[in-house]
Amino acid sequence: MTYLHDQMASTGKVKRSKDLPQGAERLKEEHRKVVKDCRSQIEHWNKVEKDYESLQDRLRTLPDKLSYDIMVPFGPLAFMPGKLVHTNELTVLLGDNWFAKCSAKQADTLVEHRKKHVKNALDDLQKVMKNFQNKDDFTDDLEKLAGDTEDFVDIREEVINEEEFTKGKRLAHKPNSKPKQEYLSDLEEDTEKKEGDEERTTGLLSEEELWARLDELECEEELQDERYRHAVRINTGKNTTLKFSERNEQKVQAKRKKKSGKSNGLSPHESYKITSPADIYRVFVDLVNGEPIPRKSILKSRSRENSVCSDTSESSTADFEERRAAFGRSWSHDDATHSDTSDGITEEESPTGTSPRTNGRFEAFTGTVIEKEPLPCSIPYLTIAPPALPTIPERKLEEVGPEALQEPPKRMSKFKATRLHQT
Amino acid sequence: MAEAIHKKLQSELEKYQQMQKDVSKSMSSRQKLEAQLTENNIVKEELALLDSQNTVYKLIGPVLVKQDLDEAKATVSKRLEYINGEIQRYESLLKEMERKSEQHREVLSSLQQEYQRAQGQAVGKFQKGKKKI
Repeated sequence: MTYLHDQMASTGKVKRSKDLPQGAERLKEEHRKVVKDCRSQIEHWNKVEKDYESLQDRLRTLPDKLSYDIMVPFGPLAFMPGKLVHTNELTVLLGDNWFAKCSAKQADTLVEHRKKHVKNALDDLQKVMKNFQNKDDFTDDLEKLAGDTEDFVDIREEVINEEEFTKGKRLAHKPNSKPKQEYLSDLEEDTEKKEGDEERTTGLLSEEELWARLDELECEEELQDERYRHAVRINTGKNTTLKFSERNEQKVQAKRKKKSGKSNGLSPHESYKITSPADIYRVFVDLVNGEPIPRKSILKSRSRENSVCSDTSESSTADFEERRAAFGRSWSHDDATHSDTSDGITEEESPTGTSPRTNGRFEAFTGTVIEKEPLPCSIPYLTIAPPALPTIPERKLEEVGPEALQEPPKRMSKFKATRLHQT
Repeated sequence: MAEAIHKKLQSELEKYQQMQKDVSKSMSSRQKLEAQLTENNIVKEELALLDSQNTVYKLIGPVLVKQDLDEAKATVSKRLEYINGEIQRYESLLKEMERKSEQHREVLSSLQQEYQRAQGQAVGKFQKGKKKI
């Protein structure tokens, strides 16, 4: 068996060599020989058993009469009439030149005992025969499998480039990287990075286009960032999850990851779309002297009237619902800041996301998003629990929006700045 | 040079064949012992089935000699032990022989290679057609 396997393993291609049938033939011959031997031995032992059985019959009937009239053999050629007497007294050969005088019944017992041995031998032989028969059949199948039938082909691929199995850069656990989401985009990314990649020859042109588009989007997002001056870096491996339906957006994130991540960015057309907790932050800006300042915590507010503690009144919850509806109207894509680890917020690019659906989504997320790296500016703790969110009048939202747009673009978010410093 | 190697090869070959014969002889005697072992086992069991009323005889030459049942049992047990011992001895002998024959085989193969090389050098362009054993 191993011989055959070694043969098959030695070649890397679909085999049609001469060795295989020869080896298989020889193997089968050996099998057949063993099976034949077993068969003959089984025959022999069967005969022995039959003899013993007839002996037992004779033993049982022998003591019936005191004496029998028989023809006694005289030498090799003659018989003589005679009598068989002492029919119950038997001299039994026990083996190895040992004899014992015993009665017919005792002899019967001895014969039974011997028959047991014979049966054991027979069983063993049967097992061996079956075993080898199976082996034979198996080699037949194997031969057919690896042989010249068209139905079964041993599929073997030659591995030319080992790099294909490695993923190149490990992007999963860097901050601002999403391992799962980026899988698809990573594939394309990695294939571009790898050298000597043979198989990804198609779609290179389209990828170029995509990269160009990516660059565009990135510029837009940078602008957005500067406007909002909010950067939320959500730790990877925590509970935020984002799924992007569009590949483009994935490309964006991929590219961003390449550049060691960035802060959140909203596409310019979707200013009020919230697709991640970070977007919420962006919305929760205070207007101080006409400039939007990032709030330290969405739970806190500058104005006392608007401050909300955890036990909020019903109005706040109602406001929260309203806000949810407003936020959930359209989704935007977020940057490579979230890791897809749990079934938290799932975002899809559906511009007309119905509010019950979004509400459901919001409610579904009960995890805590905590930022890992403390930054000089405030670190907002985002715990989304229905009663706990502050009430921000929508008026403010509207205020923020247009005002944010008019902000001077040169201001860079602190988060981004620090990140850029770090990298 | 080639001739000398050739002669050496031949002698080694003969030695190896002799070894093989010895090995096979030991094997067969060991098999015989195995058969005797099983037989004596059966005898022992059957003696156990008998009682003292039955007379037990031993065939010594053309004579059946009466034996005591207990004596017979003891004798058979002793014989069994003896056979077991013999089997063990043969086992070790066989192992030893196997080892020696393995060494011999290696020597032979190296000699063969030498011979082939020598032949190749001597003859030059002729193919090395020496049959491998």
